Formats: sequence, structure tokens, C-alpha cells
Amino acid sequence: MNEMSKNENLDIQIYNFAYLDENTKRMIRRALLKALCIPGYQVPFSSREMPMPYGWGTGGIQVTSACLIPKDVLKVIDQGADDTTNAVSIRKFFQKTANVAVTEKTSDASLIQTRHRIPETKLKEKQILVYQVPIPEPLRFLEPREVETRKMHALSEYGLMYVKLYEDIAKHGHIETAYAYPVKTNGNYVTDPSPIPKFDNPKMNNSPAIQLFGAGREQRIYAIPPYTNVKSLDFEDYPFEAMKANFKCSICGSSDSYLDEIIVSDDGKRSYICSDTDYCKEQTKLNSKKED
Amino acid sequence: MKQNFLFQASNISKYYGQNIGCKNVSLDINPGEVLGIVGESGSGKSTLLNCIYGNLEVDEGDIFLNDKSKTILNFTKISEPKLRLIQRSDLAFVHQNPRDGLRMNISAGGNIGERLMAIGHRNYGEIREIAANWLEKVEIDVSRIDDKPSTFSGGMQQRLQIARNLVTRPRLIFMDEPTGGLDVSVQAKILDLLRNLVRELGIAAVIVTHDLAVVRLLADRIIVMQNGNVIEAGLCDQVLDDPQHKYSQLLVSSVLQV
Repeated sequence: MNEMSKNENLDIQIYNFAYLDENTKRMIRRALLKALCIPGYQVPFSSREMPMPYGWGTGGIQVTSACLIPKDVLKVIDQGADDTTNAVSIRKFFQKTANVAVTEKTSDASLIQTRHRIPETKLKEKQILVYQVPIPEPLRFLEPREVETRKMHALSEYGLMYVKLYEDIAKHGHIETAYAYPVKTNGNYVTDPSPIPKFDNPKMNNSPAIQLFGAGREQRIYAIPPYTNVKSLDFEDYPFEAMKANFKCSICGSSDSYLDEIIVSDDGKRSYICSDTDYCKEQTKLNSKKED
Repeated sequence: MKQNFLFQASNISKYYGQNIGCKNVSLDINPGEVLGIVGESGSGKSTLLNCIYGNLEVDEGDIFLNDKSKTILNFTKISEPKLRLIQRSDLAFVHQNPRDGLRMNISAGGNIGERLMAIGHRNYGEIREIAANWLEKVEIDVSRIDDKPSTFSGGMQQRLQIARNLVTRPRLIFMDEPTGGLDVSVQAKILDLLRNLVRELGIAAVIVTHDLAVVRLLADRIIVMQNGNVIEAGLCDQVLDDPQHKYSQLLVSSVLQV
């Protein structure tokens, strides 16, 4: 036991605080400041090789690394859950390299790194939410030329974005896009909210917390400062609708949180549980208190 | 300068390094008028068209548009956002190959609706209705509204491209060989359609072609180009019936008779 903790201390000494060197962190902070000044604008940054593959959240990790201070309390979630592979590995990474306190409780965390969800518990001022972003460009699959998409952003030419929504309605009778649903930030830039379910989109609007987005492979950082207007795009006659599976969580019974669908038997029986594990635990606790 | 013109280009020159794209070309277009540009391959027709549309930067010369509010805009001086706004509201461009002008992986309705959404339409029902109307106008069955252009024939694709361009009621439409690469019967159908639409909506047009029959049918006036220079210009019938320049004479006399 003693032996082990000694080794862990050794590991901490090998790395600079939070893995990245100070110059890199300064470069990322500069990009972050610029991103906060121009809400929704994609700031290019010199993304570094991280000790894990692209697609595992290298962008988010670099942003977290640049923001972390020793007294931070870190929470990492993957699809809402604290105990999935991606969340566990990133949390361990920062415990090892920054020795910061970690938590699963949303309300206790000062910095939350997330993949594909916004926590159900309302975020507060002085909290930072860091998103892992696979594709930062909302126009990517509509217009493949990067030079052209940048021009479209600069000139607010967003007709094409609506063509995508039009196609959805024409094909499915409603806007089928269920995740990475495009938003307009501060009435200006159309932004990709990373692949969060559109159920979470309203939480981005006027949030007291700072929202930072890091895309490692694509080398882009963008941000939504606190209390910024974030509007999901829609048509007058097909307004935006936040949607979720119309069931109750089979663990905590909550009907207002986003649910995962789980197939529980060979004959296809389904069960629904909260995707936000911390919220589910809290609700279960509340329920048992009520019963007492 | 005349006050009632729609579009005017004066002394346009474009060079590709040492080579001449087009040299000292001037032209003006009145509202509702159709101008044909003819000449052999490599004579600078497409270069000229792209220059006056604003796609290519000109090396010398000025381009003026008399816009809807009667202000005269100089393309070589206005900002890029303004130019792009004009390109998708007052102007339109029909490519020779419909694949260049259409989004092939987006339905016919979406293709027509794109320009509407680009100028601020945000009502799905309205957009769809307008799209359906335009499909009818270009004689495409309305039931094909949700099909992708890749499932259309060449002629249908070209008609769809025309609908997509005309939907915002531009005042001037540029066409680069709109009937090139289509078989003769389809060509005739598209020409017929174009003639009707242009006359009915009072849209001015510039048509680049090497097919003299096309200009005879559509154009009011033509200019003949060779090696980047305009060698003859005038009323369509006048130039085609009584060509003055050696090259125009050659061009007119080399049309195959059936």
C-alpha cells in the first residue's frame, strides 16, 4: 500500500500539472479567451498529440487541462454517466497528472468535462462545462469546402443550414435531427452543440455556467459565455421541440430526465433508465427519503 | 451613361498570366433583353460570363448593375457580402452541367427552396408550395418533389436548375451553354421553356453558346467573340443574316443544314 502511493507520487512529478506544458496551456487559454469574446466563433488552435487516440476527447482534455487549477473539483461524464470507459479513463488521467479532487455530484463540481450530454442538475455560476467535440463545423456535411464554410459564417449565409431541416421534414414529416441540432449563438454564429441530444439544447440557452468546446482532431475551440442567448434553428410552422423517450426511468421513476433505452432480454424487452447517473442517484435518494 | 440600362460592362479585360481571357469587352443589357454571346471554343465566352457575374475578378474595367432601388452598383468596388447578396437575389447563373448548379444529394424541393431560405424564408409550408409551383412551371411532375436530382434525366436536371435559379425572381440570368450536352429534342423543349419564362417574367438574360440556332431563337442581340475580342455586335437577325466580319461569316456559313 505504502509502495503504491509512493509510485503514484512519482508519476505526478513526471508530468507538468495537468499534463500539458505551460506554454501550450497559455496558447489554449488565449484561444479560449478569443472564443469567449466572439460567442460561437470557431477559433483555430494548435492541437497537441495527447496520450490517447482522436475521438476519445482529446479536444476536451486539452481545454480542461488549460482550465484546471489545483483547487478545482472535477467531474467527467460520458453520455451522462460517470462510470463509462471514456469518463473513467479521463478522470483517472487528471487524477494522475493534476491530482485534483474528483466528484460525481454535478452540484459539487467546479469543472465538468462531458461527452454528448449536459447534466440534468441545473448548472450554476462559476462552473465550467467542457464539451468534447468530434465535428465543430455545423455546415460540414452540407458544404465540404472549409474555405467556403468560413466565408458563410463570416457573412451569416445560413440558408443551407435550413435546407438540411427542410430535407428532414420532407423525408420524415418532422425535423428528424435528434442530436447535434444546430443552434444560433448570440443571434450571430450558427454553432454545432457537439452531439448532445436535442433534449439538452434548451439548457444551453442563458446558462449561468461557462460552456467551452474543444475539437482536438479538427483543431478548433469555441465557447458560449454565461447568460448568452442560444436558439435552436427551426421553421415558423415546424418549431423546435426538445424530445425524449416518453417513459419513466425504471430505477428512480423520473419522467423529466433524458432516458437510455436498454434491451434487457433476448425477446427484445426494453427498459429505460436515466442517462445522467448522478441525477438518477439523487432522485432515488429523494424517493427513499419521501418513503421514510 | 444611359440611365435606363439594367447592366453594363465597360472595357472588361481578364488575363491568365500571358494569355488573354478576354480583352476590352463592353456590353450593355436593357431590362428584359436577351443577349447572346457566340464564338468558338476558347474564344473567351465563359471567361467573360464569369467576369460579369462576379465569379472571376477582372483585371481592368468596370461592371455596373442598376439594382431594384435604382442605385447603380459597381461590382468591382462593392464589398464581397454585398456582391454575394446580389448574386443570389438580383442575379442567377445556370451552368452547362446541371451537376455544377444543383445539390445532387438534396431533393428537388430542397434545391428550389435553397435560394428562398438564403434570402430569409422560414416557413416550410410556403417554401414547399413555391417549390411545387416551380416544378410545374418547368414541367416536372410535382410528385417528384422529394426525389433527388440524381434520379432525374439530364433534361429534367437542367429544367430543375432553371427553376432553382428563377425562384427568387432575378432580374438578370446568366446561362453558360444551357443546352449543351442534351439531345436535340430535349434541347428544343428547354429552349421553348426558357423563351416562355424569360418573356413571361420579363427577365433579362445573357446566354453563352456556340449553337447559332439557340441565339436565333432566344436572343435579341448578339456579340461574336474570337480570341478574347468582340469582333462583331448587333441585332441578332442582322448579324446572323448579314455578317460583316470574316470570322462571323465563317461561323454562319458553317452551320450544318439538315
